[in-house]
Amino acid sequence: MKQLLDLVTEAHQSGDYQPLVDLIPYARMLGVECACYGEEVIFRLPASEDHLGNPTIPAIHGGVIAAFMELTAQFQLTLQMPQPGLAKVIDFSLDYMRAGLDRDTFAICRVSRQGRRVGSCSVLAWQERKSKPIAQARAHFLLDAGKDSANPD
Amino acid sequence: MTPDLYTGRCTRFLNAQPHMRKLGIQLVKAAPREAVLVLPVQPQLVSDVLDTYLHGGVLTTLVDAASSVSTLCALDEFELCPTLDLRIDHMRTPVQSQPLYVQAECYRITRSVLFTRASVYQASPEKPVANAVATFMRPEPGSTDTAFRAMIEGQEHEATA
Repeated sequence: MKQLLDLVTEAHQSGDYQPLVDLIPYARMLGVECACYGEEVIFRLPASEDHLGNPTIPAIHGGVIAAFMELTAQFQLTLQMPQPGLAKVIDFSLDYMRAGLDRDTFAICRVSRQGRRVGSCSVLAWQERKSKPIAQARAHFLLDAGKDSANPD
Repeated sequence: MTPDLYTGRCTRFLNAQPHMRKLGIQLVKAAPREAVLVLPVQPQLVSDVLDTYLHGGVLTTLVDAASSVSTLCALDEFELCPTLDLRIDHMRTPVQSQPLYVQAECYRITRSVLFTRASVYQASPEKPVANAVATFMRPEPGSTDTAFRAMIEGQEHEATA
């Protein structure tokens, strides 16, 4: 866990969050990339045959789009957290609006409320135009998950 | 429909999806309106830095897959139904050393929409890791790709004959 906190601190200092993204195996498998513009971060999910769920269109698997958007939300919140740590998902709800075609997908997250313990946010994912999103999501994250390490059953 | 027909249909559907093959998600059980899938333990999803941390997105993918497969067990003929919306609640942190199971049920079938619920668990279904609900949109009649449908229904040879 020490290493994680160090990485978060380092990422805050350098402004390069890619090492943090690569820490999550599923994010690395999906090839998620991020670009920071000040406080704003845009995430990119590169097109890949491995992401497909519907081979007839072909279209990206809904789960891949969801996971990508969840990562976007998680990192946007992590970025804004006063204490280094990794936000932990509580719930995630998304609407699929268009088929995600076999091309690059982008996502951006807006934090609507960041409390001491819980953060809520919305995420938008698009391909060609931001005005034609392929999905939108809403999520809650636990921000002091480290303190809750007992995680009682 | 017999259970074997559901099993064949669901297995072919999973195998036809590149991302399901990539994650190694497999069918455990197919019954009327119900499906159980498993995500086996695998090094590509395990992090040595984050001790017990499987990304929540993996569970969402698993839930979406199982919910979608449960719709296959609720319809007389194969229809390719896209997910309309999905909500997942994470109740526990899963452990990396055990496979993840997901049981999904398509509990309501209407002319246009299918409603599903799913539960993700590891050691016991009594202790769910996550719960989810989803809705799927039924395609308009005749809009599912004919060759793809034949393949999923295991009628490839008949279709080409």
